[in-house]
Amino acid sequence: MAAAAPQPPPPPFLATIPENTVPETAPFRHPLYARIRLATILDVPHIHKLIHQLATFERLAHQCTATEASLAATLFPSPNPPPPFTSFNVFILEVSPDPFPPPAPQEDTTNSSPLLKTLHLDLPIEDSEKEIFRSEIGGDVVVAGFVLFFPKYSTYLAKPGFHIEDLFVREPYRKHGFGKMLITAVAGQAVKMGYGMVEWVVLDWNVNAIQFYERIGTKVYQDKRICRLTGEDLDVEGSAK
Amino acid sequence: MAAAAPPPPPSPAAIPETIVPETDPPRHPLFARIRLGTIFDVPQLHKLIHQMATYERLTDQFSATEASLAFTLFPSPSPPPPFTSFTVFILEVSPDPFPPTPQDPSNFSPILKTFHLDLPIEDSEKDIFRSEIGGDVVVAGFVLFFPNYSTFLAKPGFYIEDLFVREPYRKKGFGRMLFTAVAAQAAKMGYGRVEWVVLDWNVNAIQFYEQMGAKIQPDWRVCRLTGDALEAFAHLNI
Repeated sequence: MAAAAPQPPPPPFLATIPENTVPETAPFRHPLYARIRLATILDVPHIHKLIHQLATFERLAHQCTATEASLAATLFPSPNPPPPFTSFNVFILEVSPDPFPPPAPQEDTTNSSPLLKTLHLDLPIEDSEKEIFRSEIGGDVVVAGFVLFFPKYSTYLAKPGFHIEDLFVREPYRKHGFGKMLITAVAGQAVKMGYGMVEWVVLDWNVNAIQFYERIGTKVYQDKRICRLTGEDLDVEGSAK
Repeated sequence: MAAAAPPPPPSPAAIPETIVPETDPPRHPLFARIRLGTIFDVPQLHKLIHQMATYERLTDQFSATEASLAFTLFPSPSPPPPFTSFTVFILEVSPDPFPPTPQDPSNFSPILKTFHLDLPIEDSEKDIFRSEIGGDVVVAGFVLFFPNYSTFLAKPGFYIEDLFVREPYRKKGFGRMLFTAVAAQAAKMGYGRVEWVVLDWNVNAIQFYEQMGAKIQPDWRVCRLTGDALEAFAHLNI
């Protein structure tokens, strides 16, 4: 669903400004064009780097053993990839100084047309990792973040929902509304499909994230805890009689 | 997996008259089976989910109907293969052994176990929960789970959404049997984790899970967008 933004007004001609007044011109704006689209197997190298950055942010890099190969095999299985939104899904967030082409009309029928947004920044974003995250699309397009989510089920509602496993925006691009844009993309898809809820987990020390989530109407449960059976303990329990 | 029965008590002739015999108390065998749920189990499943909502004091949140469960859990014409989407294991019990099932490595084979109870279980709802299979088979519980994904491991896992054992059948090991069934399936498929949620004040459950080898993750908080807050995203311009 394309969200077109109005073009900023051009700066007034200096000749029309009286000499004894301070001109109140609009500050020069830096447009940045953003797009959220479904990831493909060609995005795996970037997804891999983003996951490692997320693990570092969460102070859990020691737990991150994903490789490009294991991500490709599990997220983009072939020869029969599952249809979008029925299994593990990734939305990629890309940004560019130039507008993205509007989505082709036939893309609307797949329920997965890219979302577009234009931001007007006071200052251009300095991204020292721009080259590393240059999009496989080419041009000046840079990968700025991603969200990975999959269907879950609520027995009380007898409805599916989405669980967001990872949501990450690269550091230079934070505080510009991109996290909200990614959540909106998932929540919008959930509503479109008649789903009952979107769930995820947050670290209790991530106060910025918690505040953001509560502002958009999310309930953060203080008394629920995740339990996990993994590794050797999983194998042992699975063999119990 | 059938557990072997205990040996019979010694015969009376071998016991001196002046000593009180220490025989094994008579046992009541109960045969249990875990199998994949089918659309025919939906009426029982609906009742079980409602009992669970009552137990959790969340009946105000309960709006599932038999039709909505059938439609979402057993979609047709192309139901997804087991374990690739929302999956239900049904726990059934019977006073008679279940027929052994041929072990087929390419399909899920029901899990059988024999329980030796000191006293027979009194189940006042036995008739309501009579299995669609027929006979004296009664539905005693269920577990509902689905694949999740760990980006750190780049592996799928299972998330247990609901696990419920009917009240007369609690404290006998049936909950553990259901957990083990899901864990075994995860291990068999090379999955990385099995996860679920517990309330932090539920010390009995936490102890039970930790004894199984599960770790409670203290730092994570569950977030949920639902109802009106979720619906608002239908109209929100990004």
